[in-house]
Amino acid sequence: MIKKLQQLGYPLFFVVMIMLPAMLDSRWLAVATTFVIFTIVALSQDIILGKAGMFNMGQALFFGLGAYTTAVLNSVFGWPLLATLPLAIIIPALFGIILAGPIIHLRGDYLLVVTIGFNIVFVQAVQNNLFGITGGPNGIFGLEMLEVPGLASFQEFTPYYAALGALLVTFFVLHNLETSKIGRALHYLREDNLAAGSIGINTRIYKIFAFSLGAGIAGMAGTFYANQYSAVSPEAFDFLQSVLFFSIVIVGGSSVPGILLGVFVMFVLPEIFRELATWRYFIFGFAMIFTMILRPRGIWPAKFGRIPKAFTDKGR
Amino acid sequence: MDIFLQQLVNGLTIGSMFALIALGYTMVYGVMKLINFAHGDLVAGSAFVGLFVFSQLLGGEVSLLVVLGVFLLTIIAIALLGFTVERLAYRPLRSAPRLSAVVSALGASMVIQNGIMLLWGPQMRIFPELLPSIIWDIGGVVISLIQVMIMVLSLVLMAGLYFFVEKTKIGTAIRASAIDQDAARLMGINVNNIIVTIFIIGSSLGAVGGIFIGLYYRGITFNMGWQYGLYAFVAAIMGGIGNIPGAMLGGILLGLFNAFISGYISSTWSDAFTFILLIVILIVRPTGILGERVAEKV
Repeated sequence: MIKKLQQLGYPLFFVVMIMLPAMLDSRWLAVATTFVIFTIVALSQDIILGKAGMFNMGQALFFGLGAYTTAVLNSVFGWPLLATLPLAIIIPALFGIILAGPIIHLRGDYLLVVTIGFNIVFVQAVQNNLFGITGGPNGIFGLEMLEVPGLASFQEFTPYYAALGALLVTFFVLHNLETSKIGRALHYLREDNLAAGSIGINTRIYKIFAFSLGAGIAGMAGTFYANQYSAVSPEAFDFLQSVLFFSIVIVGGSSVPGILLGVFVMFVLPEIFRELATWRYFIFGFAMIFTMILRPRGIWPAKFGRIPKAFTDKGR
Repeated sequence: MDIFLQQLVNGLTIGSMFALIALGYTMVYGVMKLINFAHGDLVAGSAFVGLFVFSQLLGGEVSLLVVLGVFLLTIIAIALLGFTVERLAYRPLRSAPRLSAVVSALGASMVIQNGIMLLWGPQMRIFPELLPSIIWDIGGVVISLIQVMIMVLSLVLMAGLYFFVEKTKIGTAIRASAIDQDAARLMGINVNNIIVTIFIIGSSLGAVGGIFIGLYYRGITFNMGWQYGLYAFVAAIMGGIGNIPGAMLGGILLGLFNAFISGYISSTWSDAFTFILLIVILIVRPTGILGERVAEKV
């Protein structure tokens, strides 16, 4: 039953998402585009936080690194936007390896603070106009945008559909990850690091791999974010943004529907209640607390693999 | 040499404020294994409550009694707030996965931060001058009465806390709960009461830290809790989180480091250098300078 629902769910989701722009004005189209991009980042955060169980609170760093890679290559070196995509994935992924390497053995909360630290170092470096190419506190603007040849009237919708395409790719990667050897290894090492190590899983390598995969996907999302606004600025990637992605994964639960719900609750709802202005985050904080009290494992928790009912908590 | 001594004085001042705030983080973490993200916002709230108590409740005239009143009433208000946060946001999650409690803490932080903004507005407020602005010039090194008071009072409070935790019965119970909650419970310690005690002590120290921030920097904003909270938290981690002398050492160390960075290099890079220092310390000593070297419990 659930399996069938899932098989139906993905196509249905994409059909709805493809139809969506027809019903939206330009402001809500922008919200929908950012929704799709944030979903990609949240899914990449989920690989590190949910799947591999590492307390990463610096995901905006990789997101920003991808966006800045695109922006710098486009504005300084004049590369077309799509040509920057491979580097916008590879550079964050490499940084994921370099940064994760020395800190992967740290205990949970220490890891959390160090990743916040990386994020803050990144934002400060960008703000101080590192190498003179990051544009300082204002960022880089006036980037070239993706264009579909011969469809000038379609221009308004291009960022949305480009992001949606990237989301499809992300789903594909995640699906393969979940059913692969690597996905199983990550699952075991999250459940019990020591036991995973003792049955021959190289936990260090897999953790670094998860970090780098998550970083690469976030970097890809960065390119589409830069495309949406045709600009990048440091405050879009500061660590409060990382806190948002972190909360999305925990509030939603570490499953694809959970993360979609999470992004909706944490990003789209505040946009809907914009009229409440100053009150909305006050109420929002309470909502976060009560969600966690009522659903400590998230709104839609993840299930892994085909574990017989008897072995899970519910079967007892 | 003058710059060195001057930054030494400034660093010790900032460091003692960090240390006071860091104690709140480290004590809560020690027992609950939870990063209390709301603590920084309690500190920010304390500066605003102090401002309110001084100008609205006590008439805005500076005298010794009024200053004492400001400290006392603010500490009581913030301790109550800390108690409420624990009751509403953390206690229901005692047996939940650790990350749920972290998100609940982030939610509590959001509530307090935006509560301050709703009450006192988003603009910067100026904290009153509670102490006469006496400044001494000792051979080129400038030191103010406020700085002296911050350092002395922090030292007294920290020494008091150290003796409380090391020498009294409740202190022993706190240490026992930090080592093993279940065993402590079997020994007849009411761990819930201990947690409440910790929140009250931590919030009170944070409240003093918040008033100090107001006195020293003067300008206070509703969202400054993140900044100071994060620094204090880094200090707690540097010293070895859960370790009370560690938080004091980490705070002083971080304050000095920050002061020397802004004195000798540039203040625009101070955040980056702070975190690079933290990362280096954690690579060399994964559980902080004074943290015990044990593996995470399986």
